Amino acid sequence: MDLRRRFSGFTYVLPALVFIVVIFMIPLTYTVVMSFLRWNLLRPDLGIRAAGFSNYERLFTDSFTLETIGRTFYFVVGSVLLELLVGLSIALALDTEFKGWKIVQSILLVPFMIAPVVVGFVWRFILNNDYGPVIHFLKQIGLSGLTDKPLLSNPSMAMPVLILADAWEFTPFVVLVLLAGLKSIPYEPYEAAFVDGAGSIQRFLYITLPLLRSSMLVAVVIRTLTSLRVFDIVFIMTGGGPGTSTETLAFYGYRIAFQSYNIGFSSAINMLTFGIAIIFTILYMRVIGGGKNYD
Amino acid sequence: MIRRKPIARIIVFVVIALALVWTLVPLAWILLSSFKFETDQFSIPPKWIPDRLTLQNYARFFGNTEFVRSLFNSVLITFLSTAIALILGVPAAYALARFNWKHANAIAFVVLLARMTPPIVMVLPFFMIARFLNISNTYLPIVLALSFFSVPFAIWMMRGFFQEIPSSLEEAAMIDGCTRLQSLRRVVLPLVMPGLSATSILCALIAWNEFLFALVLTGRDTRPLPVLVNMFVSERNIEWGVMSAAAIITVLPMVIFGLLVQNDLVRGLTMGSSK
Repeated sequence: MDLRRRFSGFTYVLPALVFIVVIFMIPLTYTVVMSFLRWNLLRPDLGIRAAGFSNYERLFTDSFTLETIGRTFYFVVGSVLLELLVGLSIALALDTEFKGWKIVQSILLVPFMIAPVVVGFVWRFILNNDYGPVIHFLKQIGLSGLTDKPLLSNPSMAMPVLILADAWEFTPFVVLVLLAGLKSIPYEPYEAAFVDGAGSIQRFLYITLPLLRSSMLVAVVIRTLTSLRVFDIVFIMTGGGPGTSTETLAFYGYRIAFQSYNIGFSSAINMLTFGIAIIFTILYMRVIGGGKNYD
Repeated sequence: MIRRKPIARIIVFVVIALALVWTLVPLAWILLSSFKFETDQFSIPPKWIPDRLTLQNYARFFGNTEFVRSLFNSVLITFLSTAIALILGVPAAYALARFNWKHANAIAFVVLLARMTPPIVMVLPFFMIARFLNISNTYLPIVLALSFFSVPFAIWMMRGFFQEIPSSLEEAAMIDGCTRLQSLRRVVLPLVMPGLSATSILCALIAWNEFLFALVLTGRDTRPLPVLVNMFVSERNIEWGVMSAAAIITVLPMVIFGLLVQNDLVRGLTMGSSK
């Protein structure tokens, strides 16, 4: 019986497992192989040659790589921090369950359902220097110094604007996760604290925040993983520019592959991106593993 | 606590009001723009509500065969990849929830890793393989690529829903003479129906909104809506009105479906780590 159960269970998993392994492992292996080749689609005359570690050598000696990692982390840290702070405030406000909170919650969720490409388009539109309403508003309240140059063509402003657009889309996700965390906090500790005379700030610092820790960790790790791969809004809002001031790892890999057609070097860049993703995935496994002990 | 209540309520009110403005300004602008005449798009200072409204932008969207084709492509690609995700993912999720294997964790890790892999890592090999097999102009590469995201997603999400159903229910059915497959169909599936609909909607959301793979793996005849939106933004003279209409058409179905399952969103998106 036991053997049969095990066997029949495996047949349920097999199709999906084969699918994932084939669709995952073949392209992944292909990337690894390509990263050791000198291969440029624009120079078929040079053919495909073994490159040894030269793509990786170039990757790790070029200061541009480090700058790109720096820009990627600027984006990740900026957007995740902003989303956490804004998301926490909104989640706390929604947790009070005032009249009509269900409708408010639904409205606040909408940006999260929107395709990132459309988010980029919308933000480009409202920030358009001539007829964008937000720029017009900034000028009216006397921030015209900020808008002398179109925001997205200003090397020091382009990245903060991307972070804002990203936060607009993904803060609702953080709100959802934190709200679920807040709802699962039992009422007893608050009662006890109230009896002991703790003020609301103390209750927040010593009860809410510590009990919300695992929810915040989950939100932060997932958002870090997803914003590390940011591509869509960069592509549509700035194209990595002005110059390369908003070029992230994913965009760098894309540009080298589909604008320079340097397949080998692009694969090496993508392996680096993959390595960073693996580190955060393992971290994530730890986080959920840790969370389970508290259940 | 009672003394502080008015202040707390004011703070809550202010936070909610700011959040609503922050969320609604871009949405309202794009929605209103989709009903504006082309000349009103360029008024300086920008006008929120023009003197007259029009459906002309939507008429132009649906009058353009290329646009309608994109809409059709989006629907087809989304439907196919979601179907694959459910057909492969649901049985696997059931088995992972029910049987204790030594290697269940290793399988779970592969599934999670596949889900967490940055798309950029996969898109170049996908492109090269599609080129090599000469299937670049078909729906096959994009559907397979999207399924690659949604199959692991469906497994993780459905596993959580299956775990909630006590296995004693099935055992009872099996003692009454059902086979495992019968008990799955008659006892378990009706109970996970809400989870199943949430899972399929989220799989559809992933496929519908995906951009990078669609950009690289689709051509003139197969490209879905996000690629269409991008094409018009990159051109010099953006037709803001028609593009706003296209944006609204792209966004609307997923917002409606997404809000229907908002309560199950958290579990789906945190991969079962919070209930």
